[in-house]
Amino acid sequence: MTEVFQFGVEPITCHAWNKERTKLALSLNDNEVNIYSRQPGTGDWVLEHTLSGHDLRVTGVDWAPNTNRIVTCSADRNAYVWCQDESGKWSPTLVLLRINRAATCVRWSPQENKFAVGSGARLISVCYFEQENNWWVSKHIKKPIRSTITTLDWHPNNILLAAGSSDFKVRIFSAWIKDIEPKPSATSWGAKMPLGQLMTEFSNSTGGGGWVHGVSFSCDGNRVCWVGHDSSVSVADASREMAKTQLKTPHLPFTAVTWISKNTLLAAGHGCCPMVYAVEDSGKLTFVSKLDVAQKKEASSLSAMRKFKSLDRTARTDSSDTTLATLHQNTITGIQILKGDKAGATSVSTCGSDSYLILWNFKDLPDTIADELLCHPITAWMAEPRTQSLEESIAELKLA
Amino acid sequence: MTPVVVSRNEKERVLIEPSINSLRVSIAIKQADDIERILCHKFMRFLMMRADNFIILRRKPVEGYNISFLITNFHTEQMYKHKLVDFVIHFMEEIDKEISEMKLAVNARARECALEYLKRF
Amino acid sequence: MILLEIHNRILEDTVSVKIRNALNGSKPESIDVTIADFDGVLFHLTNPDGDKTKIRISICLKFYKELQQHGADSLIKEEYGEFLMETPESGYNISILLDLEKLPEDWQPLVKKIGLLKRNCFASVFQKYFEIQEKGEESSSRAVIHYREDETMYIESKPDRVTVVFSTIFKDPDDVVIGKVFMQEFKEGKRGSQTAPQVLFSHKEPPLELHDTDARIGENIGYVTFVLFPRHTNKAARENTINLIHMFRDYLHYHIKCSKAYIHTRMRAKTSDFLKVLNRARPEQSNSKRVAGVSQRNTAIRALT
Repeated sequence: MTEVFQFGVEPITCHAWNKERTKLALSLNDNEVNIYSRQPGTGDWVLEHTLSGHDLRVTGVDWAPNTNRIVTCSADRNAYVWCQDESGKWSPTLVLLRINRAATCVRWSPQENKFAVGSGARLISVCYFEQENNWWVSKHIKKPIRSTITTLDWHPNNILLAAGSSDFKVRIFSAWIKDIEPKPSATSWGAKMPLGQLMTEFSNSTGGGGWVHGVSFSCDGNRVCWVGHDSSVSVADASREMAKTQLKTPHLPFTAVTWISKNTLLAAGHGCCPMVYAVEDSGKLTFVSKLDVAQKKEASSLSAMRKFKSLDRTARTDSSDTTLATLHQNTITGIQILKGDKAGATSVSTCGSDSYLILWNFKDLPDTIADELLCHPITAWMAEPRTQSLEESIAELKLA
Repeated sequence: MTPVVVSRNEKERVLIEPSINSLRVSIAIKQADDIERILCHKFMRFLMMRADNFIILRRKPVEGYNISFLITNFHTEQMYKHKLVDFVIHFMEEIDKEISEMKLAVNARARECALEYLKRF
Repeated sequence: MILLEIHNRILEDTVSVKIRNALNGSKPESIDVTIADFDGVLFHLTNPDGDKTKIRISICLKFYKELQQHGADSLIKEEYGEFLMETPESGYNISILLDLEKLPEDWQPLVKKIGLLKRNCFASVFQKYFEIQEKGEESSSRAVIHYREDETMYIESKPDRVTVVFSTIFKDPDDVVIGKVFMQEFKEGKRGSQTAPQVLFSHKEPPLELHDTDARIGENIGYVTFVLFPRHTNKAARENTINLIHMFRDYLHYHIKCSKAYIHTRMRAKTSDFLKVLNRARPEQSNSKRVAGVSQRNTAIRALT
């Protein structure tokens, strides 16, 4: 069942889940991060904590599942690592990023021993905890970044880092911290991996244009995909000599992308609708389906007062075209996998500028979408009918 | 990003300048003669004096254009994007119409005045 | 109200009220009113020497001296006769005295006439030149009336016509443009009315007839020439022609101002219209209350209000 939650009117800039997916951290375009927990009975979200420490807008949040730590970064150039004590209280630790521009995005590494922060200062801060001094230190990756880092993703090996930036490039860097980690073994991206080593660089478009908005490593770490402001979706494969394939879509630009299986991508952005793309082994990209069926909403009859109010405010009574046919009413700003992982997700969440958080369950999509997914061999897994367990059937009957 | 100019002819054109967090749309309005020129000038000054109400309106147009809108990321967060697009299009459609109607009105008045006056002789 | 009234309504009304009061037998009250009219004309109503039964109506025209050269005095005398005061109030050009105790039976025409005081002052110069034309003579000189500061009227008569040239100043450059539109219509107006005089308009520079004068040249100056033919200047049509032509400048500027006011209201209306269209882009705050985690668990519920 697709679930829609609204958290006010302010845009949700970023969101993150805890390990059990029972708690949700999100920022409503201000300097705080709210943690909500889901009520078991009603399914409503209840505000549990507010993490306030930043001075300016929070731009990124990530929740380390196993160590249960939250890292936030903000336009005030700081990052905080939030830890929960026994009483459940979250307390921040300041991380000195040593940057002179706003931080834009933050990601925990898979092993959760370090995190990377992208910033407008044309560098990436890789931060790790130094036991002796009991603080977080940051190492910079600078060269050859020429513009703001807009998006980051870690390779599963905990060493490589993909970074998209507004100089239209996607770069793969090594973020090996030799103080805390053993020497990494060679990957398809290269063998020599000192900190800051540029493994490879992809240009989103040769003719210029197209800031990179979202980047994601595949589950095996051999492929990286990204989306840009030129409405393109691209995939590069390290196991095939860095072959890059790009699909220019007719849609509005995407802002976020993630792998939802070895060969399936989910991209979402200004078009307000998440879209599924299939990637063949050859690298060929094809559009498969939208996750949202655009439904024309029926105009609700207006009360006389509302009618005149609307006439006065907008000089018309018909407001049916004000809302979009999609569930999201404004740009989708982020995608997180809710159930499963990049090798096979069954549920994702998207947050948007419309203050909506929407949970998409692949196993319970409308028939039209399921049919489209089934028609494509690569995405058929998403829509394969799930055998309903007895308990669930009973629960459904009760609901009915 | 590279600015885009969409133009019907030398005089009527729209300049769109995108950047990562804002977008500037500048419109040059058709001004065929003196009266259209002053009407356009008056109207634009009138609008820009009320730029606060219009939120996305700039107080000064870009050089070579009559009016500029600046849409920032904050605007797109607070407003429906598709309706903002509708507004800019509506504005462009209406502005030409309004100026030619005003011109017609002035002309009609002038004719009526002249006739009425001369008729009396 | 396309045409302007040629009499001064305030003046007329004020005097009428006074007379009615007097006729009703109420106690006369003192009066001291100053009224302004077009072309910098001032009227002053007072009780001479504090005598409340008498009203003195004085008019001040900055260019009366010029009118005098063209026989304004005699025309005024003819019009107002016994009511004219020998020596006008100091600072004014003409004074008329009304004795509320000795009013003629039909006082209304008299009041009308008083209202036309300014028009009658102007009339003299036209009368003179119309007459010259009627006699089939050519005027030896051209009458130059500086009816406003920086604005002048020239009158000249030829055996077959009388030309009246107004110079007028457009204070606002925009007025020039609107004025041109109007003048274009005046020029073409002859088509609509067979009896109309010919109207010529020149912008910046004076017409050929005035090249040897001190006529000003400038970006914001316009010259309007009326060519009046005998059918306008004959005795029957004369009064009407004078009525119209002496108000021309005021008429033109009045309508230019009206046009600007109209444009302004239109712009205001359109601006609020645009604002409303822009409002469509703004979500209505009222129905999206800030409630954390309001859930709509079913996709069927798509209306999010």
